Amino acid sequence: MSDKVKEQGSIPVSKVQRAAKFISTGAKVGGNYVKHYAKKMVNPSLNREELHQNNASDIYNSLSELKGSALKVAQMMSMDKNLLPRAYQDKFSMAQYTAPPLSYPLVVKTFQKYFEKTPEQLFDTFSRSAINAASIGQVHQATKGDKTLAVKIQYPGVADSVSSDLRLVRPFALRLLNMNEKELDHYMGEVEERLLEETDYQLEVTRSREISEACMHIPNLRFPCYYDEYSAERIITMDWIAGKHIKEWMATKPSQEMKNQVGQALWDFYHHQVHNLKQVHADPHPGNFIIQEDGTLGIIDFGCVKVIPEDFYQGYFALIKRELVMNPAELDQIFYGLDFISDKDTEVEKTYFKGVFTEMISLLGKPFHVDRFDFSDDAYFEQIFLLGDRISNDKMFKSSRQARGSRHGLYINRTYFGLYNLLNQLEATVDTTKPDWLN
Amino acid sequence: MDTATAKKAGKKDYQKLILEGFVSHVLEHGKEPASIFKFAKDLKIKEEEFYNHYTSFEAIKSAIWVALFEETHRQLEEQEVYKEYAVREKFLSFLFTWVEELKKNRSYLLSLYKDKATTFKNLPSDTRDFKERFTDFASELILEGKETQEIATRPLITEKYDEALWLQVAFVFRYWLDDNSPRFEKTDAAIEKSVNFAFDLMGKSALDSFLDLAKFLYQTK
Repeated sequence: MSDKVKEQGSIPVSKVQRAAKFISTGAKVGGNYVKHYAKKMVNPSLNREELHQNNASDIYNSLSELKGSALKVAQMMSMDKNLLPRAYQDKFSMAQYTAPPLSYPLVVKTFQKYFEKTPEQLFDTFSRSAINAASIGQVHQATKGDKTLAVKIQYPGVADSVSSDLRLVRPFALRLLNMNEKELDHYMGEVEERLLEETDYQLEVTRSREISEACMHIPNLRFPCYYDEYSAERIITMDWIAGKHIKEWMATKPSQEMKNQVGQALWDFYHHQVHNLKQVHADPHPGNFIIQEDGTLGIIDFGCVKVIPEDFYQGYFALIKRELVMNPAELDQIFYGLDFISDKDTEVEKTYFKGVFTEMISLLGKPFHVDRFDFSDDAYFEQIFLLGDRISNDKMFKSSRQARGSRHGLYINRTYFGLYNLLNQLEATVDTTKPDWLN
Repeated sequence: MDTATAKKAGKKDYQKLILEGFVSHVLEHGKEPASIFKFAKDLKIKEEEFYNHYTSFEAIKSAIWVALFEETHRQLEEQEVYKEYAVREKFLSFLFTWVEELKKNRSYLLSLYKDKATTFKNLPSDTRDFKERFTDFASELILEGKETQEIATRPLITEKYDEALWLQVAFVFRYWLDDNSPRFEKTDAAIEKSVNFAFDLMGKSALDSFLDLAKFLYQTK
């Protein structure tokens, strides 16, 4: 598990990996480190306006290891510019990953605050150093009786700083995204909401329980048990799930059957959430999945859950119906509904963007158009990246000042790309089930 | 023998009575008692008896600071894990425990120091004894840090490290007084970050290697 942290510190190499990174690191703003980072970057002698204009891209570059096409992929992935703010957050959360872990005295203090006991008094054993770094906290391993537990502890002050950190990102995002303030706020609001939820550990426990229970019937899934008596505002205690992360597991050369089994469990898990529960674990980050010895998939960390509004759901998934791509009138309506195009666009723009989005959708909806899809097909992913490159280099796309796409799309897109990428990593072939109304 | 212990216990009790009486007076009135005469009268002890223990309100305030320190120290010693800590963790642990102690007396400290304590320097008489104890404690830590190589030995500067840690204590106190975050979480973050910064500075760094190189070049030229 400690490998994971290192992994995230390095620059991902292949294109697929880079895209995975975007989706993986997650929309998490790295606590107070953002302030530190930004202060270091900002030369106080420059006046603000100058600074924004001249240095915005420099700052962005130094913040970003993900240069070049990775950015564009993200652009395209979101079907517009709306993932770009996430590029920043990725960056900021990476700054967080290099943050020194919570010192043990502070861990002890946090326990004393909430339980009036030290971790040693509460558990039989408790690891002195963190086993794993989460984006806004860290995980320790503990034992109690015959149980092995994972204890997640949040950094102090993170919850308070989310809003101020986002404000800090705003001016840079504005300049770089070429959006107007109102449009940016449209997305930033969504991000802020999710981030604040993520710092609420009590909500996380409730949601974890809800979703775990609702998904219990899906074969080959495993959810940890949560322990209220050892959980509080800043601490979550759950079962320790032993096993390997996808990458490590793949290194053990599992059989194709096993790969398909895990992939199918993953697909079913998302299918059930999106289409039946209408709320989804919106953080398909490889670190949140653990494959156990017997090929069952353990799912941890329900920090980021997106509730899908009904009207958005209808519009969004109607797009993946194959015949619909052929029906321009209906398509227009959906594009308007999802804010892909608006009355502010000129006719030329409308035609252009409709063309672009239709092309994207037919490509991205591909797994849905067949009954069984082979995600190990790198050629398919290559196609997506090429399209992304092409579009983002297009003048039309660059010069548009419109934010495109519904705010809800932000996390749903992220979820699906995360899912596709995980399945690609798993080299799995899965039955791509669809709800009845789409068949 | 019996009378001696009885006397001693009695003396202790008076001290406790005076300290607690002083704190509760400050808590209720938001300021120090008007005079020692008045204060002693309120406590129903003779003024002479008061002088047997303390000679001024400053002495009382100082004793309270020392008591806070002693209590913190005692709690640290009680923790099994404390002995295993590295120096950085020991100091962190000290500050975390100390602010917990402060918290128990927050109202008292706020009424006395909210407006005055821009730095500890303005309160020399109140905190002199506390500083003395703390410096002893800090020196021990620094010595240990040098042994474990956590703290780099630098001529002239190293001797001032205890002073630097003291400034940090003052900084944390000031920060804590103004902290409005729930559960004083910001103070926790401030402690964590400032201590890490301080120990990073005190540890061996690129600067040391640079000075070493500069010295070498200068000497061999």
